[in-house]
Amino acid sequence: MGTIFFELALTFYFAASLLSFVGILRKKQDFDMVILILSFCGFILHSIYFFYRYFKAGQAPIFSMHEANSFFAWGILLVTFLINFFGKVQIINFNIILTFSFMLISAFFPRNVPILKAELKNFWIGIHALMAVFGIALFSLAFVFSILYLVQERAIKVKKFGGPVSIIPSLEILDKLNYRLICWGFPIYTLALIVGLVKYFSLLGFLWDPKEIWSFLTWLVYLSIFYLRVKSDWRKKKAAYLTIFAFLLLIVGFFGINLLTESFHKPL
Amino acid sequence: MKLIVVGLNHKTAPVEIRERLAFNNKELIREGLRYLLNRCGVDEALIFSTCNRVEVYSYKSISSCNLTFSAGEENRLENSIKSFLSDFHKMEFAEFEKYLYIYRDREAVEHLFKVSASLDSMIIGEPQITGQVKEAFEIALSEKATSLIFNHLMNRALFTAKRVRKETRIGENPVSVSYAAVGLIKKVFADLSKKSVLLLGAGEMAELAIRNLIGSGVKDIFVTNRTYERAEELAKLFNGKAISFERLKESLTKADIVLCSTAAPYYVIEEKILKEVMFLRKYKPIFLIDISVPRNIDPNCNNIDNVYLYNIDDLQDVVDSNMLERRKEAEKALQIVQEETDKFFQWLNSLSTVPVIVSIRNKAEQIRQEEFEKFKVKFKNLSPEILNSVEYLTHSIINKIMHEPTVALKNNCEMKETLILAARRLFGLDNEEE
Repeated sequence: MGTIFFELALTFYFAASLLSFVGILRKKQDFDMVILILSFCGFILHSIYFFYRYFKAGQAPIFSMHEANSFFAWGILLVTFLINFFGKVQIINFNIILTFSFMLISAFFPRNVPILKAELKNFWIGIHALMAVFGIALFSLAFVFSILYLVQERAIKVKKFGGPVSIIPSLEILDKLNYRLICWGFPIYTLALIVGLVKYFSLLGFLWDPKEIWSFLTWLVYLSIFYLRVKSDWRKKKAAYLTIFAFLLLIVGFFGINLLTESFHKPL
Repeated sequence: MKLIVVGLNHKTAPVEIRERLAFNNKELIREGLRYLLNRCGVDEALIFSTCNRVEVYSYKSISSCNLTFSAGEENRLENSIKSFLSDFHKMEFAEFEKYLYIYRDREAVEHLFKVSASLDSMIIGEPQITGQVKEAFEIALSEKATSLIFNHLMNRALFTAKRVRKETRIGENPVSVSYAAVGLIKKVFADLSKKSVLLLGAGEMAELAIRNLIGSGVKDIFVTNRTYERAEELAKLFNGKAISFERLKESLTKADIVLCSTAAPYYVIEEKILKEVMFLRKYKPIFLIDISVPRNIDPNCNNIDNVYLYNIDDLQDVVDSNMLERRKEAEKALQIVQEETDKFFQWLNSLSTVPVIVSIRNKAEQIRQEEFEKFKVKFKNLSPEILNSVEYLTHSIINKIMHEPTVALKNNCEMKETLILAARRLFGLDNEEE
């Protein structure tokens, strides 16, 4: 019965994405307020769905592919609203399309509440998964802004401004967002890894889980983005390239390893 | 034919003609309007005069009971407006005849809508014209030169302009070099109030660009020049700081935006120097604008990371492509103009006699039927005979009441439009359509 909220949220996101798409093609931002309202309605419904599932199942709704993608989309939108409200940067038209895409992916997976193995039925495991996915959502936005940065940078360098380039925010804003998102995402992701690792040891003892190794690698790349930004001339454009690289690694972990390997990280 | 515009603009007439026919101040326009109303026999008039155009809009309602003007009347009206222009400006008609254009009815309305939406402007999409149209309307209004038709027409013209601005991107991309420069800078930097500008050399274009930057919030301005005195002079002008030319490298390290416009015949900023500067400023982005000819900044500088270099041709290219964009948008805007013209003529047609009489009659008939149905429900047990006579009675009452207004609307040619408008008001016809 709770899935009605999911369907409704999906519908709102769809309408908002459609408008965003039209806006980007028209190179006009006069729909932005409507898009914002539509997305917000979707967001409220989506949140209801999230909590409904949480209380009904008594476990964090994050363990199945359906749940993880849905929460991921939710996280992206939440951060978008925060940026829109506090950062006063209008980016909803790019992000709502992203949110909708992940909601759509989520919609294709079965909606049933996953039955967890006994050792995973733990409050901290839920926290670990939620934080990890939220961290990844932040990273993925950094990824989007990095791409926009490169597109905008290229346009300015080659001095051609055709197409929807004209509504991309300025380089300064994109770089700042990129940096801030990694600033917020990194500690959350780190914490998620630590909680995961600690629980992992206490529950299963030492094991080389492929996801774990991959996540650690990704974490190292994000750490290096931090380091290089502060320490050397790897900022702006190069930082954007690095962010894109790091995110590609991450997404391989999120989908590739989860689906292909036989580990307890395999979604249910 | 009722509505007519006689005029000339920057496309049809050279400035020598335009300036002689221009109505340069409000008093002159008022005088012209009085002339038109009193001596040319038009019912409503409006004079629109800017540096690029002089246009006389006039409206004459059909005075006889014929449905259209005869050709003779048409010519008489046109000629009287032409002779108004030549009399008023004391110019031989033959001198400016070939520059004139005349639009009638639908074309005239379309033309006005295009003008006010800035589709007919020299720089398409420039926003001032709408304000000028509004001002011309206000003058005509205060002179009581407009009434029913023009009041509606001008409101629609201003509405059309608003729609075009809102629904197309006609006014969005800057089409002057100095504004284009600021637009480009804003693609790199978000908040210009925290950025500093270095002005290298001087020149009219550079000054314009600096003024636009100041308008966009830039506060820190540094000026440097071969001769320090000149730098101080300019710095005073823009409330900036003068810096000696020897410290160029240092100032480049600090500045975010550089405007270069010196008379030097060589590269003042070389690639090698800028590379060092970029290292010193930790690759913080820098935007260089080189408006000097010959160029003063090595074009290879654009290859350095986080350096954005635009020379005068690049800026002109941006302006050209923006102009092209505006023309494309103007095509879309024409669609809006067509729609609004259609709407205006729908309104105008609603002012003619027959449809008003029909809708009054329809309304009366509708009321009669509704009331008769209620009556039938209330008195169920009446015989069909009585019902028939009641229906007959209601019919004849309606017909008797409707007779006088119908005759009045059909026959009274003198104040036809006023009567029609009054009838629409009295019978509440406009409320229904809303």
